[in-house]
Amino acid sequence: MIVDDERIIRESFFHWFQKSGHRVATAASGDEALAKLGETPFDLLFVDIKMPSMDGIELLAAVKETYPETMVIIITAYGSIESAVQAMKIGATDYLLKPFKPDQLSLLMEKVIQQQKRQSEFDYLKGRLEKITRFDNIIGQSAAMTAIFDMITEVAGTDASVLLAGETGTGKELIAKAIHAKSPRANLPYIAINCGAIPDTLLESELFGHQKGAFTGAMQTCKGFFEVVNGGTLFLDEVGEISPKMQVDLLRVLEEKKIIRVGSRQPVAVDFRLITATSRDLEAQISAGDFREDFYYRINVIQIEIPALRQRREDIKLLAEHFLKKFCDETTKRVDRISPQTLKLLEAYDWPGNVRELENAIERAVVLSKSRILNESDFAFLRPPPAASLPGPSLREMEKYHICTILDRHGWNVTQAAKALEINRVTLHKKIRRYQLKPDGAAKR
Amino acid sequence: MTETMHPNQAAPVVAVVPFGSAPLIAAKVIAAHVSGYLNLAVETLPPMDIPPDALDQGRLQHNAASLIQAIEAMPLKDYFKIIALFNVDLFIPLLTHVFGEARQNGRVALVSIFRLETHVDGSSPSSERVLERAAKIGLHELGHLLNLLHCDDDRCLMYFSGGVDTLDRTAFNFCRYCRTALRRALAKPWHP
Repeated sequence: MIVDDERIIRESFFHWFQKSGHRVATAASGDEALAKLGETPFDLLFVDIKMPSMDGIELLAAVKETYPETMVIIITAYGSIESAVQAMKIGATDYLLKPFKPDQLSLLMEKVIQQQKRQSEFDYLKGRLEKITRFDNIIGQSAAMTAIFDMITEVAGTDASVLLAGETGTGKELIAKAIHAKSPRANLPYIAINCGAIPDTLLESELFGHQKGAFTGAMQTCKGFFEVVNGGTLFLDEVGEISPKMQVDLLRVLEEKKIIRVGSRQPVAVDFRLITATSRDLEAQISAGDFREDFYYRINVIQIEIPALRQRREDIKLLAEHFLKKFCDETTKRVDRISPQTLKLLEAYDWPGNVRELENAIERAVVLSKSRILNESDFAFLRPPPAASLPGPSLREMEKYHICTILDRHGWNVTQAAKALEINRVTLHKKIRRYQLKPDGAAKR
Repeated sequence: MTETMHPNQAAPVVAVVPFGSAPLIAAKVIAAHVSGYLNLAVETLPPMDIPPDALDQGRLQHNAASLIQAIEAMPLKDYFKIIALFNVDLFIPLLTHVFGEARQNGRVALVSIFRLETHVDGSSPSSERVLERAAKIGLHELGHLLNLLHCDDDRCLMYFSGGVDTLDRTAFNFCRYCRTALRRALAKPWHP
């Protein structure tokens, strides 16, 4: 926002910034500027030091008190350097002696953008953006995981696109974070997006950003994740869910390293490292024509296959004990260990939901456990129904199972069960005799 | 001043107008570059007088905003865009000087060769270099008239050049994104 009582200066600034693609507002007085700041956040204010009623120094003090994150640059004429020095003491970012050389303004803007970038990094480190998980937090001592750890160290130093392939719950995002944390981009943002969870049109706007008025509801220009990530790492989870059109757009960004916001024509250079993940068979999708081959090869410079938990059962004990400690700390519940029998049960289970399922199982067991040792009974919910209780594949077995279930439901009241089965009582009696069904269930199945 | 009409009103024509004692050769060079780079019909008009009110007595420079306003009021409505060439020093109130000036999506762009005739170290460049600089400024400002913004790519003509050294480093080329934006802008129908 440009705050100056001289219209000609406001217009001059306005046109200069407009040509550089910045959003600009103007205010003719300090009061008007404060009113506008109350309605919309501004990144930067150019404030003339000499203004009637509220001068630039007073406005600067008011802005710094209420909106400390807003940067203020004081514009001053020759002869008022003392005031400029005072302004710097109050918290002005810089001051400009007017008129200034064209180079000065562009250099100042570069400086401001760098400062904003640093602020953004600082905010990120404070936890505004997603917290980086340390590489060390990936648990595993199996040969498969050791090979993955070596791979992470190797690929982290490069800028190559990485495709993480593995079943759901295998820890793809954790590995993406580890690659980021080990990379030269570790101090820059890491942004994760689940492409499967966002509709295509929204994904476009989220990734590329949009100009004000680009579509209904686009009330203001908004940066997309490609810009927000700002030199960091972008993690696109479930990349197999991305539509062919979006694949083309992403391919272009990967090739050009430039994006055009939705509703804009102005390209913006972007810098990011891409990590993608999928639980789908992308090559099968390519064969089916659902996934672009050129996009696949662009994202699949390096592929890391993450094994399912059942393929590295030796890690289950380590993981279970890690999650036990984690949830004991979180819930302040005293559970010391998992019994050896229970560990055997956990190691024998197939874990279709992989590490995530194991984590949830341990959490549930810790929360519901009434003892200091987790026993098999604490994981009863994991056990699949005994094979004996299921009907066989034949129609005869299925009928026998169904009749028995309905009879049980009606307390072996044949009249009611026959009614529920929509057959007459005589037929039901015949079937009970044929299948040798008894109320105690001994010969039921 | 007489009304200047272009005979073919259907095709957009860019006018390059030297003002005051601005050299006609520079106007012709700008016209040739606009024609060559943007495939637009260009006419170099006879020299015109500099609007006298644009001279700022305090700064002894010509106010670019006043010049644009004055030229917009001139009877040149049949031209798609107008590039006005000067050899006087131009300024906008904010800055000490400008090499050129144009409003986004406006009709009139200004180019001044006043500061293009000196190197940063004060020495004089060759006349070819001055003409090259003028052509770059002309294309840059015409880009603004076609609604292009400054470009981050320092190899693109839409990159903001604050000094002649930066201008000399800029290639005679629009980047592919700016070229696309130019193509789109020029594809729009135009009516005088």
